[in-house]
Amino acid sequence: MSAAWAWLRRNALLIYAGIAVLYMLLPIFVIALFSFDKTTFGRLDYTWSGFTLDYWRNAFSETAVNDAMITSLQLAALATIVSTVIGTLMALALVRYQFRGRGASNLLIILPMATPEIVIGASLLSMFLIYGLDLGFTTLFIAHVMFSISFVVVVVRSRLIGFDRSLEEAAADLGAPPLTTFRTITLPLLAPGIVAAALLAFALSIDDFVISNFNSGTTETFPLYIFGVSLRGIPVQVNVLATLLFLVTVIGIAGVLWQQHRAERMASIRPDPEPIATGG
Amino acid sequence: MSNATNTTRVARPRVVLAALLAVVAVFAIAACGDGGDSVGGGSDSGTEVAKSGPVEGEITISNWPGYMDTGSRNTVAEFQDKTGVKVDYVEDVNDNAEFFGKLQPQLEEGKSGGRSIFVVTDWMAKQMYDLGYLQEIDHATLPTVFDHLIPSLERPAFDPDRKFSVPWQSGMTGLMVNKKLAPGVKSVNDLFDPQYKGKVTVLSELRDTIPLMLKADGIDPSKASKQQWLDEIEKLGDAVDSGQLRRFTGNDYTQDMTNENVIAAIGWSGDTSLIENPDVEWRMPTQGCILWSDNMVIPKGAPNTPAALEWMNFTYEPKVQADLAAYIQYVTPVTGVKEVFEQQGKTALANNPLIFPSAQFTKNCTTQPDPPGSAEDQQEVTNAFQDVITG
Amino acid sequence: MNGARRRLVPYGLLGPGAIWLVLFFVVPMYYMGQMALRSGSLATGGFTFTWEWSNFSDSLSGHEEQLVRSFLYAGSATLIALAIAYPLAYAIALRAGRWKLLLLFAVVAPFFTTYLIRTIAWKTILADASPAVDVLKFLHLVPEDGRVLATGGAVIAGLTYNFLPFMILPIYASLERMDVRLIEAAKDLYASSTKAFIKVTLPITAPGIVAGVLLTFIPAVGDYVNALLLGGTGQAMVGNVIQSLYLQQRDYPEAAALSFLMMAAILVVVAVYLRLAGTGAFMGEEEEAK
Repeated sequence: MSAAWAWLRRNALLIYAGIAVLYMLLPIFVIALFSFDKTTFGRLDYTWSGFTLDYWRNAFSETAVNDAMITSLQLAALATIVSTVIGTLMALALVRYQFRGRGASNLLIILPMATPEIVIGASLLSMFLIYGLDLGFTTLFIAHVMFSISFVVVVVRSRLIGFDRSLEEAAADLGAPPLTTFRTITLPLLAPGIVAAALLAFALSIDDFVISNFNSGTTETFPLYIFGVSLRGIPVQVNVLATLLFLVTVIGIAGVLWQQHRAERMASIRPDPEPIATGG
Repeated sequence: MSNATNTTRVARPRVVLAALLAVVAVFAIAACGDGGDSVGGGSDSGTEVAKSGPVEGEITISNWPGYMDTGSRNTVAEFQDKTGVKVDYVEDVNDNAEFFGKLQPQLEEGKSGGRSIFVVTDWMAKQMYDLGYLQEIDHATLPTVFDHLIPSLERPAFDPDRKFSVPWQSGMTGLMVNKKLAPGVKSVNDLFDPQYKGKVTVLSELRDTIPLMLKADGIDPSKASKQQWLDEIEKLGDAVDSGQLRRFTGNDYTQDMTNENVIAAIGWSGDTSLIENPDVEWRMPTQGCILWSDNMVIPKGAPNTPAALEWMNFTYEPKVQADLAAYIQYVTPVTGVKEVFEQQGKTALANNPLIFPSAQFTKNCTTQPDPPGSAEDQQEVTNAFQDVITG
Repeated sequence: MNGARRRLVPYGLLGPGAIWLVLFFVVPMYYMGQMALRSGSLATGGFTFTWEWSNFSDSLSGHEEQLVRSFLYAGSATLIALAIAYPLAYAIALRAGRWKLLLLFAVVAPFFTTYLIRTIAWKTILADASPAVDVLKFLHLVPEDGRVLATGGAVIAGLTYNFLPFMILPIYASLERMDVRLIEAAKDLYASSTKAFIKVTLPITAPGIVAGVLLTFIPAVGDYVNALLLGGTGQAMVGNVIQSLYLQQRDYPEAAALSFLMMAAILVVVAVYLRLAGTGAFMGEEEEAK
């Protein structure tokens, strides 16, 4: 009994983490499950009536769903790239430099997160109209970058704080110009933080409803489409696409990592190149 | 560590000062800004009548989801083929208040965001008209519409002369009941029966829920006083406090009814297709239902009004409307559709009382009313209702 | 780089973001600020600017309960999210080896589907008659005649779940840079696992924790959609009130005023929290690194 107990204690963390992972994936299991459910009208009905592959076979038959999904992915990708770049630069400034206006900058970062979405949405709309901008993809892009910057800054900043400068200092000592140091040392070390921030920005953008609703004109993003169509029944293809999105993301990353793994293994069994004669 | 505390002790007052300055600056600019004129007073550019003319070009139509048949040969495609007008059909009206909220700043400036037609429920159409956001329509430019409009929709209370609205589809608000678990629910007052405690929902739409409650108490909602509306709202508040009411819903009550979290609710007649539970049916309350329409309106600043008017005429042709009605399954506002179904052999559709409610079926129904009185009175009723919802 | 140019570097780095935020946040906020001081209504000639400070007190009166409830729900959700996220992030960052990125994406990818579909899935899982709820009743976490949906618990659960990525990602980012050898060193010095954790891991990951808490708590207070779909009567948060004021009651000035009040309250709570947590963990002055 105590052996089992000891095993439990040793692996408590992994068990807990495993349960947590299952918890986080639970809705996606349900979503995937119901993408195989037989329905009367082709709309989600949350009750199991039998297995069918129909909706997977016709996954892309609802053009409105596809269009909305593509728009959202394009928007999210673009907004993520821009907000991550801008936010990382801001985080660097805030953590590494002393300058006037730090306090105000900190306030500027926190405020958008604290503002209710409907207020941001409505006031952005009024402002776009005053600026004379046409509502559509551009205004959506501007809005999505705006509300993502704060989140990126906070995430990257937390990674920057307490960053071990000694590697950078060593590089500088060896004569590397600041930009090279940044590119070859700082950025790679910062990478996990930047990746985390980008993931967050992507999730924010692809899930936004209220602000997008106000500023989209007649452009339809995926959340706008979903909220709209939920009034009259969500097509099962939505669940199919959602599951696909999840699978593509996970399998994509797995693929990339697998490639890396293979590359490392190949490198380790490839014979070393002939050592260059050093004449001595 | 102490270094950090020192810097932060200096930094913190600076942050506070910066924050204060920012706040003062904002309000100072606000004061200097366009303080004089008002925002949102409604457009005062006078009445405009939608002009007819050569039918060409393109139009954008905003409608509710589920109001257009699907497929590559649907009504939009047919219209494009017949007239050569390119239609951008957008389903971005999810909720009257939300749609108004996001369109209001543009309508204020006399712009419609590129839309030639949008579809909103009776009361919202009236509010938009009163604020001067809509164009009027000349019946002479809509022959097919007014030849085929069903009589019960010819002179509605909110637009007796049909000056600015043309019904797209109509519907009935009544009771959605699980006949196995709540067989005794026949009147709206039955929803307040304690045996159903916690398993009942009502709509968050003021003009559906309160008028139904008024009717259940024997009061004609189109003639009720403000105090009577407020009394019903108070009754609703009591039901909230006692836990009788589970939630206020949009049409998300359908999921609750499918998995039987809710066994009786106020609901819309066309939602039966959303509820995959064979025990659930829509019932006409004993005191009658509320009749409403979603109407096509033409906003000021709408481009290409000739094409918009042509769209309205087109969708009122009985053959065209039949395709729409078969899909939408709400009450069709066009006469002659029943005959088309019979000709096509679609007898189930032809005899569906939720698409073609007979005068007998709807004899006790009232068209959806507004709260009575002045704008301030209506505001008071709206606020009281919202307080109960967000209580 | 000479001194003058060096001084400009931070402004250059800050520039793009600051400009974007000023143009597209501060300016709209100015209009909101103006609106908060207007009076009138849409139907009666519009909103005129009259320094209507009473909007602030009016918007608060009758809505204090929702404001307090919002902080309660958001605070609970933040604490629970922290309890779930930290061990998970720890396991991913320090025990998953080569597959850590995969696991990270795997737990965040469900949040790329729309909020509504996720919530519908949860409502299916937590329906009154579902097996999951039966289990909860068996464990006496839910009373026999009770339910999960349409309760405060459901709203908190929804908030927790939907903000988990906001908590996991920063903690992961700061855990990932931790040098495991520090823990080994502590253990070599006879520290127990717990002590090593408290004295070594926790302080190093403090910035990540603070970041996660802020990114979860701050937006959660203003959230309205969880209360709307998962809550019932009596669970409305201040976000729902603002939504109602703006869209249903069309009382734009009061909506704006209440928003400002909510934002101010959030800032106060955040300031107190940062004071307790040590602003170094958030501001990250250079001295802290040394």
